[in-house]
Amino acid sequence: MSMDGVELQILWSNLIGIVSEQARALQRIAFSPIVREAGDLANGLFDEQARMVAQAVTGTPGHINSLAAAARNLLENCDRDSLKPGDVLITNDPWMSAGHFFDITVLSPIFRGERIIGYAGSTIHHADIGGYGIGSGARDIHEEGLWIPTMRLYEAGKPNETLFQIIRRNVRTPDALMGDLGAQVSSGIIASDRLNALCDRYGLDDIAELSEEIIDRSEKATRDAIRKLPGGTYHGASTFDVPGGQTITLKTAVTVDAEAGEIVVDFDGSSPPSSMGINVVPAYTHAYATFAVRSSLNPDLPNNAGSLAPIRLKLPEECVVNAKYPSPVNARHVVGMYVPFPILKALAQVIPDSVVAEGSGAVWTVQIQGKDKEGRPFTSSMFNYSGGMGARASKPGISAVCYPTGVSAVPVEVLEATYPIAFTCKELEHGSGGAGRQPGGDGQRIGYRMRTGRSWLLNTIPSRLKSGPEGLLGGCDGKPGVFQINGESVEDTRKREMQPDDEVFMITPGGGGYGPA
Amino acid sequence: MTRYSLAIDIGGTFTDAVLLADDGRSFVDKTLTTHNNLLEGFFRGVELVTGHAGIAPTDVDDVVVHATTVVTNALIERKGPPVGLILTEGFRDILYIREEHRYDMYDPQIEFAEPLIPAERTFTLKERTFADGTVGTPVDRDEVLKVIADCRAKGIVSVAVCLLNAYRNGKNEEEVRRIFAEEAPDIYVSISSVIAPQMREYLRASTTAINAYTVPITRPYLTALIAELKDRGFKQQPLIMLSNGGVIGAERASTMPVRMIESGPAAGALVACYFSRIFGIPDLISFDMGGTTAKACMVQNHEPLVTGTFEVDRRYRFKPGSGMPITVPSIDMIEIGAGGGSIAWVNDLGLLKIGPESAGSMPGPVCYGRGGEDPCVTDADLVLGILNADRFLGGDMQLNLSGAEAAYDRLGETLGLSREKAAWGVFEVVCEQMAAATRTHATERGIDYRGQPLLAFGGAGPVHACMVAELTESLKVIYPPLASVLSAFGTLVTPAQIDLVRSHVATLDTIDWCGVDRVLDSMILEGSTALAEAGIREEEFTFTFAAEMRYLGQQSEVRIDLPADPRQMRDAQAIKDIFEEEYDKQYGLKLDGMEIEIVNWLVTASGRQPKRDPGQAGLDGDRGEETRPVHIKGEAQEVPVWQRRAISETDRIAGPVIIEERETTIFVLGGWVVTRHESGSLVAEKTGEAA
Repeated sequence: MSMDGVELQILWSNLIGIVSEQARALQRIAFSPIVREAGDLANGLFDEQARMVAQAVTGTPGHINSLAAAARNLLENCDRDSLKPGDVLITNDPWMSAGHFFDITVLSPIFRGERIIGYAGSTIHHADIGGYGIGSGARDIHEEGLWIPTMRLYEAGKPNETLFQIIRRNVRTPDALMGDLGAQVSSGIIASDRLNALCDRYGLDDIAELSEEIIDRSEKATRDAIRKLPGGTYHGASTFDVPGGQTITLKTAVTVDAEAGEIVVDFDGSSPPSSMGINVVPAYTHAYATFAVRSSLNPDLPNNAGSLAPIRLKLPEECVVNAKYPSPVNARHVVGMYVPFPILKALAQVIPDSVVAEGSGAVWTVQIQGKDKEGRPFTSSMFNYSGGMGARASKPGISAVCYPTGVSAVPVEVLEATYPIAFTCKELEHGSGGAGRQPGGDGQRIGYRMRTGRSWLLNTIPSRLKSGPEGLLGGCDGKPGVFQINGESVEDTRKREMQPDDEVFMITPGGGGYGPA
Repeated sequence: MTRYSLAIDIGGTFTDAVLLADDGRSFVDKTLTTHNNLLEGFFRGVELVTGHAGIAPTDVDDVVVHATTVVTNALIERKGPPVGLILTEGFRDILYIREEHRYDMYDPQIEFAEPLIPAERTFTLKERTFADGTVGTPVDRDEVLKVIADCRAKGIVSVAVCLLNAYRNGKNEEEVRRIFAEEAPDIYVSISSVIAPQMREYLRASTTAINAYTVPITRPYLTALIAELKDRGFKQQPLIMLSNGGVIGAERASTMPVRMIESGPAAGALVACYFSRIFGIPDLISFDMGGTTAKACMVQNHEPLVTGTFEVDRRYRFKPGSGMPITVPSIDMIEIGAGGGSIAWVNDLGLLKIGPESAGSMPGPVCYGRGGEDPCVTDADLVLGILNADRFLGGDMQLNLSGAEAAYDRLGETLGLSREKAAWGVFEVVCEQMAAATRTHATERGIDYRGQPLLAFGGAGPVHACMVAELTESLKVIYPPLASVLSAFGTLVTPAQIDLVRSHVATLDTIDWCGVDRVLDSMILEGSTALAEAGIREEEFTFTFAAEMRYLGQQSEVRIDLPADPRQMRDAQAIKDIFEEEYDKQYGLKLDGMEIEIVNWLVTASGRQPKRDPGQAGLDGDRGEETRPVHIKGEAQEVPVWQRRAISETDRIAGPVIIEERETTIFVLGGWVVTRHESGSLVAEKTGEAA
């Protein structure tokens, strides 16, 4: 190794600073409430080989770790040598980036003089992408919206007008989407300036050596951490119901190879593909699987290609977490956000002090559409609510907090100011967390209606209405969720036509307890 | 007849006192902060400085300004009397639910602080205001009476009221306050539409709760202060330093303690503005490094940057997000856990890390000889030869060099580096941490930090500032006099000022100027009243205007300073142009054809900038005849040592050089030249000249 611990520390923190700064700027200026309020975004910096060297310390695991794969995929689909300064690549291909059309990934090459020294990428959840809208009701992927293959959004700094026009005409909120896309592009330009300034400051021609050091050391540290675990194969399973009443089981066999310092997660035995839009593409499964391992093993180590490398996945061919074309994937987070739990249950047999008991899992998402009092059409962005987090070995689960995703909820006042919605309640559901030596976090009760005097469309994705999250090592289960319209339980929550005075009421699940009470 | 002004700054460890005479003399002293009764230390400080000057308290005929950590302490200690919270029915857990966000995505062990006001003292009312400001359900008097009875039963002395959408229309909150005033005038009521009239229920509730929680502590404190000053013959009501960098009468301040939280640090930032004017440098970065943290603030066009939201009492590993958010105007500061007492260590990857663990002042760095064993930043400074073991605090405190060296031998071994190289690594990494924080902070705000001068103070600031300047590409570092009590001095060069924010949402195309007039008129009335209370004459009132704006559909606003009173401007196009220019500057983006919205109007009401200069001392001491070896980048160099008071305005000293004064040491690198400015400040400039 040629860089010493001082030099590397300085340069590394600079790289993370560059992407974090970009992520915060993106979040500030975004139109999509899910980005600006909920933080549903990812920024990453890649080396010339398209390996992720640094990621912003904001966003969600689903996006961040998917972005790591997206850069590689995008570059495999274009002639790298033909890239010019000012080129910007784009895609929302679910299999190439974050698993559904809403997430648009933008990647800009970073030139230093004539040469590409790296790439700046971002993925954000856009307000709308046409098609079905957020929800699991589409029957194949083409019903779900506009599919943008790998293309150049900008060529040598000039916008690809044809593509822009196609996008504008195919989404319900074109201004917001254009604003957010513009913000992604400008974020890439600024990242490129910053990286060049860093190279100037430290007299670097490129970041190849720096990237090598970061990735090598991260990989080694991760392998060393794995080597300290007892080798063997450990099993865990998680069962939960999704909209429409279908029950999904995720099974994992987690093999710790203590010699090689590797962990392999095998999903054999998990549920087959679903006819609903809840199928998960491999990159998104990988994102949440690596999250579960990394957050239990060495959460302080920054995420990059090296720290992710020693964790590998085995996916059965016919499986809900190995989506194949043309399966619908729109609400992939419903299943994807449960991916960590069977892994954590397996790891509980190895590192019981570091894991989290099963929690409410996927955040419940809501989208509303209709016309306001004056008859102007509106389509809301997706907004989400959390249940209780599972308990930890020495701490209770946190109530009403997004886990495993890293998003926030949109404040009630922001939603009421943006859309003609009025909430009737949003409070904790006390006692919904499972009892235990450490209790699970509580879920929450949320009610809302429209103030338009017109009929409207509701698109929600609750889950765990039948059985609550399981307690860990003797802890009690959390309470399942409740979803009602006008006081009556509803199972099928696919896009529904609602009457003007209809009131929605839901209780999100509580988290599982840890250890016997 | 000489006029005297007095400043007392109560910090976590020391209470600083500064007395300025208008003939240019200044008197300073420090005394330990008396945490059990802060006023004891306050008046000890007063006696010390007035004693030095040989005057009686009654001779202090100009302002008495006070900065204090009393509010922050109250929030951290949480020993206040019971306080209640009144919310809209159906939304009683706002403080528990927060934003449903984990501030660290990967760490499954994160924790949040318990809400300041617990569930058993939270009450709800069947009332509702909608987002458009219409009242759907008015407040029911009987229900409020029941809450009052509950409050009485629970011994509650102060309540926070935060009703849904009250940022848009505070009528229901005002009604609650009115009923309390009639029925329970002894219970103090803080309403969110006054304390923080901005959208987002959690932020507003958190801010209002903090205010309600600290009123029962600050009111008696400030009332006692006012009374005791009067008893002792002081003529003026004391002024209190606020987080926004303004001062305000103590009586008014006692009702809005949430605005006093960053009182001391704000004063530090104000000094930077003061020197920016003296030097005629509009933009600079203040750099204040102490024992446990370092702070920086960007000064732009002689004014400090102000932010709308910040956080207090970060509970979990000092992480952003683990504290309580506050949304009131405050000086926008970066604070990082890197000070003289920060501990250096090597992580699993073999990387050198510094902080956030700190040895504090007990046991302190190894060289303090109080039992500390971990290598600290100050130990590195000593090992490198930048500090002199015999001259720390003017020789009052002997440092243990061999202990520090042994600690760095151990750290060096872990890193595979020599003792001196490890120490230099710590010096470099701590400076880079500060520089990196500054770069991120500046770029987030659309400021090009490169080339901006630094103003260095605090015990450790002058030691590291020149290196930080190298890393932020600055070409100038200013070392002001009175560095050790600079914040206290800052309060004396601060104009009376109050910042007001009011939500009044409208797109530029549909703006109703009569409505804007009404909003601004009421803000100006409020500002005028506050200034008059601070003893400012009407002809000295100044009002400046700003607006927070965004493209329709966004939720984060960009602040636009307006060149004139909008009531006279009435020019939507001009406002649009300024907004687009500012937006492009901050985000490199112009969005044509999108509607633009004004969300908040901002009015700053201020009095005149007082002119008070720090005194200057005579010239004596070492003039670089002596040298000592300093290990720069692992190589020993003989570096000349000067005493600060020996430097005259005709001297021109090439770096590397060490300049010692009682409370701190200035370390200037090679390629920099030091001169003395007529203000008594030293200035290091990068010239590239070799030593």
